[in-house]
Amino acid sequence: MGLVTTRYAVRSIGRNVRRTILSVLGIAVGCALALTMESINRGRDELFARMGSESGVGHLRVVPANWDAQRDVRLRLADWRFDLEAARHLPGVVVATPRARAQVLLAMGTHTVPVELTGVDPVTEPQAYRFIRNVTHGRYLRTGDHGVMVVGKAVAERLDATLGDEILATSVGRGGRIESTMLEIVGVVATGSDEIDAGISQVTLGDIEQLTGRSGAGEVSVIVSNWRRADALREVLAARVAHGDEVLTWDQLAPEMRGHLEQDKATSRFVGIIIIVIVILGVASAQLAAVLDRRRELAVLAALGMGRWRLARIMIEEALILGLLGGALGLAIGLPVVSYLAHNGLDFRALLGADWTFEGAIFEPVIYGDFGPWIISYVLAIALGATLVASLYPAWFTVRTDPATALRAAP
Amino acid sequence: MSNAVIICRGVEKTFRTGSQEVRALRGVDLEVGPGEFVALVGPSGSGKTTLLNLLGALDRPTRGELTVLGQRLDTLSKRQRADMRLRSIGFVFQAYNLVPVLTAVENVEFVLEMQGMSVRARRDRAIEVLEELGLGDVLHRRPRELSGGQQQRVAVARAVASRPQLVLADEPTANLDGENAEILMHLMRDLRDRYGITYLFSTHDARVVAHAVRVVTLVDGRVASDIAKGEEPPHVIVPGVGKAREAIAVP
Repeated sequence: MGLVTTRYAVRSIGRNVRRTILSVLGIAVGCALALTMESINRGRDELFARMGSESGVGHLRVVPANWDAQRDVRLRLADWRFDLEAARHLPGVVVATPRARAQVLLAMGTHTVPVELTGVDPVTEPQAYRFIRNVTHGRYLRTGDHGVMVVGKAVAERLDATLGDEILATSVGRGGRIESTMLEIVGVVATGSDEIDAGISQVTLGDIEQLTGRSGAGEVSVIVSNWRRADALREVLAARVAHGDEVLTWDQLAPEMRGHLEQDKATSRFVGIIIIVIVILGVASAQLAAVLDRRRELAVLAALGMGRWRLARIMIEEALILGLLGGALGLAIGLPVVSYLAHNGLDFRALLGADWTFEGAIFEPVIYGDFGPWIISYVLAIALGATLVASLYPAWFTVRTDPATALRAAP
Repeated sequence: MSNAVIICRGVEKTFRTGSQEVRALRGVDLEVGPGEFVALVGPSGSGKTTLLNLLGALDRPTRGELTVLGQRLDTLSKRQRADMRLRSIGFVFQAYNLVPVLTAVENVEFVLEMQGMSVRARRDRAIEVLEELGLGDVLHRRPRELSGGQQQRVAVARAVASRPQLVLADEPTANLDGENAEILMHLMRDLRDRYGITYLFSTHDARVVAHAVRVVTLVDGRVASDIAKGEEPPHVIVPGVGKAREAIAVP
């Protein structure tokens, strides 16, 4: 577009300063609100991904083929040592740890508790499962341990057991045979959540192999430094694991968590869309008023031979300039807010207590906003996108105006 | 084949407002040759503006044939009509209708830019035309900083800057005092002489009619009379207007 046309668009914005200021302010506030919501959304993504993965799910998990369909803890990996090595050599990996699970009935005296007993590597497990670090009594498992277990406080209480007590663990082994073994409690974990504590029962990988009669591990759980790269890394790892094994991401492993997150995001995005729609309507209204004010002038331009597309482009150009100004102001308003949220978080502790448990994961109910380079492109996209959409009706109205009719109208 | 710039054959125009029909033109027959300086006169509501709008490709006739510069306007698309207005027809409006946020030179450049002229060429042309019209010292003033006469001269500059073959002017002197009206008419005639532009202008002002070589009178949407004067009215160069041209006092 030529220089005079651009000058015309720029100066036209300055004709009604109050209307321009209000439009820019409307766009700015809308952008700042949308930015804040998106920042919280991203922060919540991060929180769920981090807390979920550190609660034992992992960002990635190598599982036996068809495990996702059956979710059968008796399934074992085709070659877990090969898979573990592959996972440990994955770029950006923080830790990879093997596990084997079994449905077990724990009994002491007259007390019985059904649990999912997990066989683990005592060295790497605490890096992948942060709750297990909260051993309040005794100690955690060690390499070479045999016949010992660590349980959650809730499990111990239901068994009426304490450190040093011997627990009878009974499981169904190969061929349906009932297998039993005695396990001594060497550590009690208290996370602060009964729900979490009731799910903690760990032994070494060797002990669970012996109890179930099934050798190997049922999964290799992987934590990576950047959870947002989980999908890409899944592809890489899937190509490296043993034939017959497959790799799942954290949201495939915990679909209920992903579902909850998506539901939350959908709600806040819906609110964001409402905000943007209000901005669009506001800008469209102001733009239309500007077009009506200049109806005769635009008719003169059409009479002088300005094509419909060029007239529409002027309207769109004016809207985009408003969008740029609004976006810049929106950044000026939104950046401090998002920066505050990134550093101090949105604290829900007064409402939810110190911790909030969801699907076996403990969440600190403080959501920290995400703060990154995406903010600039996000705000500009919202501001320019909204104003572009807002300009369409005024532009259409302009090109539909018959110059002869408009020129006949009062000056 | 006629070399007429304008050919109207039985041109009718009817406007519908609700259930009412207004017949603004009732069969106009008119032919205007190249370089003619024609006044269109008649009482209010006689159809002068409607005819100018049709000739300027702003509107379509309800009936009849309308040929301007060899183009049958009633068969052209909106886009083709816009292109014709841009390249071949200049407009001068009664209320000047300059773009208020642009300076005098930008108002003229605007039209040249629409034609796709390069930045340098259009700026040079705009300045040249404005200087020819005696506006060299107000190039960078906005319309509100100009007198009525100056504004209308900028409007004329805008209309002729692209060297159109036909200029249509709707009561161009209606908002001007006598002296400025005289100056404007002399300028328009001067531009006609130099560039061969055909002028058709509507007016109520007898002094302005005096400049016309031919006077067409419309009454009730029909041509009531079409009188060609035997000789060209006296023509002078306006003082202070025109580059390196001899100034002659206005009589």
